Amino acid sequence: MTPFHLTSFMQCNLVSGFAGLSILQPAGNSSNTNNGGSNNNAAMPPPCIVREQDQYMPIANVIRIMRRILPAHAKISDDAKETIQECVSEYISFITGEANERCQREQRKTITAEDVLWAMGKLGFDDYVEPLTVFLGRYRESESEKTSLRGDPILKRGIDYGPMVMAPYGPGFHMGLGHHQGIFDAAAMGMGGFYRDGSGAAAGAGSSSQPSLTNNFDPFGQFK
Amino acid sequence: MRQAGTYSGILSGGISGRTGPHLLPLARIKKIMKKSGDDVKMISGEAPIVFSKACELFIEELTQRSWMVTMQGKRRTLNKEDVASAVAATDIFDFLLNLVSESDRSGVDATDHPLEMDALIRS
Repeated sequence: MTPFHLTSFMQCNLVSGFAGLSILQPAGNSSNTNNGGSNNNAAMPPPCIVREQDQYMPIANVIRIMRRILPAHAKISDDAKETIQECVSEYISFITGEANERCQREQRKTITAEDVLWAMGKLGFDDYVEPLTVFLGRYRESESEKTSLRGDPILKRGIDYGPMVMAPYGPGFHMGLGHHQGIFDAAAMGMGGFYRDGSGAAAGAGSSSQPSLTNNFDPFGQFK
Repeated sequence: MRQAGTYSGILSGGISGRTGPHLLPLARIKKIMKKSGDDVKMISGEAPIVFSKACELFIEELTQRSWMVTMQGKRRTLNKEDVASAVAATDIFDFLLNLVSESDRSGVDATDHPLEMDALIRS
């Protein structure tokens, strides 16, 4: 039997494990035990290709990120692009599985950002944890800024921020003038959101208050 | 990093002024997370955002390591075998070993994965 060339099925990958389980079967037929597949050697139904895309990051985005690393003259083979695309999905599944197990052990229903960060640390990706923590912190700041600007800033300053903000965050916890913690959203609250020294507008990467971020932020404090 | 103005931050929406535009689609990330297990229930809004950045770091690291293999071979085209070598050489990428070592699309040297395509090719 001639090798089955899959160039026309560029996104139809032979992936098992965490991601892409029901690859070649139409929906509803997830059993893969019918005589080693000898009954399924008809042409693959086209809908499988369309569904495949959902299992991976868009390849153009993957390539774009790869090109940030590679020198200008570098070329990337198609199968390398696809392989890395598959690896990304596997990575997400791998980390999520670990994070989910932890949630179940602790009888929580929602996988949080902290769970994800914890799982990464546990699975050997601890080099990622700090940059991701910084990234997450900036995101939370920008979110809290958005919510804080919903009302009149002058009026809001008078709000008693209350114990829900103060308690878990330790002595280094600062509340800047620009932050109106009375209104921040539930997600940030649940995560143990933290705030840097404010100065009206949250600073970006060059902020002088940057060090206080990692000093005060203990992503896993609530889990100790 | 340029900061969005106090009010224009609202008008422009999103967090692109702060953390840069997301390179990877959050909805797709969430979908993959949900698929990782039957018992994945709820996912906070921030988790896909962490993953969007984490996947960038992951792709960058995997690409970097793969390219080093390419260069060792004095080649300019990064191919799948380079990726497989990088995975094999990196402990934390052990979870990828099966994925990168599976028989490729036209290959017949199937590994021990009972995939239909493998059986198909070998029959």
